[in-house]
Amino acid sequence: MTKRIALAAMVLAALAIAAAYASAFLPGGAPGWAPWLMALGIPTTLVAVMVLGAARNGRIGRLALPFAFSFCVLAAGFCLAVALPEDAGAGAPLYLGLPLRAAIVIYGIGLFPIVVLPIAYALTFGEQTLNAADLERVRLAGEAWAREKAGAARHPVAENPASAVAAEAVPALPGARA
Amino acid sequence: MQHVSHPSIIVVAALYFAVVVAISVWATRRTKTASDFFVAGHGIGLVALTVASVSTSVSGFAFIGGPGLIYSIGLGAMYIVLPASVTNVMGAWVLAKRMRLLGEARQLMTVPDAIGARYRSPLAQGLSGVAILIGIIGYMATNALAMGVVIDAIFGVGMGWGIWIGMGVTLAYSVAGGILAGIYVDVFQGTLMAAASVLVFAAVLKVGGGLAGISAPIMTADPAFLGPWGKITPLAALSFFFVFGLGSLGQPQGVHKYYMLKDPLQLRWYPLLKTLGLILVLLLYFGVGVGVKSLVARGALAPLSAPDAATPTFLLRFTPVLLAALVFSGVAAATMSAVNSFINIAAAVVTHDLPVAFGRTIGNELKWGRISTAVLAIAAALLAQVSGTMVAFLGIFGWGLFASTLVPALAIGLNWEGATREGAIASISTGLVVTLVAETLAFRKLYTLPAGVTVSGLSLVLSVLVFFAVSWLTRARAEAQIDPDVRMVMAV
Repeated sequence: MTKRIALAAMVLAALAIAAAYASAFLPGGAPGWAPWLMALGIPTTLVAVMVLGAARNGRIGRLALPFAFSFCVLAAGFCLAVALPEDAGAGAPLYLGLPLRAAIVIYGIGLFPIVVLPIAYALTFGEQTLNAADLERVRLAGEAWAREKAGAARHPVAENPASAVAAEAVPALPGARA
Repeated sequence: MQHVSHPSIIVVAALYFAVVVAISVWATRRTKTASDFFVAGHGIGLVALTVASVSTSVSGFAFIGGPGLIYSIGLGAMYIVLPASVTNVMGAWVLAKRMRLLGEARQLMTVPDAIGARYRSPLAQGLSGVAILIGIIGYMATNALAMGVVIDAIFGVGMGWGIWIGMGVTLAYSVAGGILAGIYVDVFQGTLMAAASVLVFAAVLKVGGGLAGISAPIMTADPAFLGPWGKITPLAALSFFFVFGLGSLGQPQGVHKYYMLKDPLQLRWYPLLKTLGLILVLLLYFGVGVGVKSLVARGALAPLSAPDAATPTFLLRFTPVLLAALVFSGVAAATMSAVNSFINIAAAVVTHDLPVAFGRTIGNELKWGRISTAVLAIAAALLAQVSGTMVAFLGIFGWGLFASTLVPALAIGLNWEGATREGAIASISTGLVVTLVAETLAFRKLYTLPAGVTVSGLSLVLSVLVFFAVSWLTRARAEAQIDPDVRMVMAV
């Protein structure tokens, strides 16, 4: 289910980005709503592809929170940059040395996600990404495939005839479709 | 680029090259098989891989072209590097584990290998190999040209000799030590680049009076420079973010490195370390670009004759000569490192992926890898010397071509069982055709895209949509196109 939602989000976001590009071909150039489509489409695409990669047995577990946080930071950063009025020039207040909208972009979009995502990746690595048992299963699957290929080369009957045999030889991952 | 010849700079650059040669001699003794040559025998440790990966990611652009771009278009140029806050961890979730596990299960060596294995399709493997080869020809020629410019600036030997000297050194360690030499040269160079970048950033802050002191004169003279989009349109800036964000998943020079990690379980800390390393290296990109603009705005520097003069001008005027020497040598080494990485990938396409696409294998891949490395390097140097503006044309579409041809088939395909061979082939073909046709039309001034629309962004989004559409139309075939071991890799 999680993967389906991520895929649907990715398609919708790609359509939004395509629409933003298409609008630039209109007479008079890109209308005011085009950057909004990009501002929402880009974070959706990036977070959706991360969800797709991180989902295991159809779930992302504790990663839901960091992903939601990252989407909010990126989307809010882009949308604020689009929506806020221009900075006042010479007298504009500076935030950590930059005018407001520049500070939102540099510190918000450029630095905030770093604090959260790589640490979330490291902390959930064993349960959500890879552990020694996974590695062993993959090695066994690879050996089974190599045996199957060698067997098929000795007895060429049909394309990939022993796939089913190899599939049975590999210990299944809990919840996986193999 | 202006000449920076100075005895200290020449000595440091010569020492730099000597270290590169020493590393390549060491690596040559350890390169005995094609696997050693193309993927370092799947035996690189976490720290070495991280530093090398940072080094390959930035190239000379981060030190010369990037600050120049900020100087000319303001913060809009930051959208090229801002995605670094998410791209490394995104690459880790989406590709690193699956690529490394495919390497574990099948002893794969190339990016097209992974596509071929995923879809059981030599055609998809061959097509992606062709796309990579086309992109790399351009990248190699532009980097060869950049090497010539930088070496000429340091040693004053003329650009032609600069190209051949730089390519000669690169060729020596690429042919002999393959990617193993490249990785450890990158480690050496990446460490120095990070240190130099931090020191230069500190110098910028000192000269400018802190970030607030740097911003104030710009806000008076040219406030649009520090606007959220700089001097480009919001659509153009966001387009940069899209292409350099999602597109990072299709860059073979980065993705290919996932195969090399010795222990896949070490991936745990890879995104954090790489992101921190990249931030350090990119401090110079931001600092010099904004700092030089501020110095010009307050009259401490004359306006630059060309944007690319931003870094050399700042270094020669405001930093100790030893630091300037380190940066200039680092830029030369960065271009050499990029060439090494690209040559190695291209040689693998020529000796491995294209023969596989035609149902053949080459007997001694190590020997032919070395031969094709030499041929490709010489061809790139010749192209850089004789083709003039064509080199610039070839160089501009590399990133976009890799993104549009590889992101859907590789990054999405390795994570979605519903993707089909037909979808992969259609998306790779879409990326190739749209990029080549649109870039050619733009180069020949026959048609220009509207403001804010980039060829790379357009071709990436189109290839993604084509991938989904064709995979959906042919979804009945998806189940049968995945081998059990590949399905296992996709499931963990």
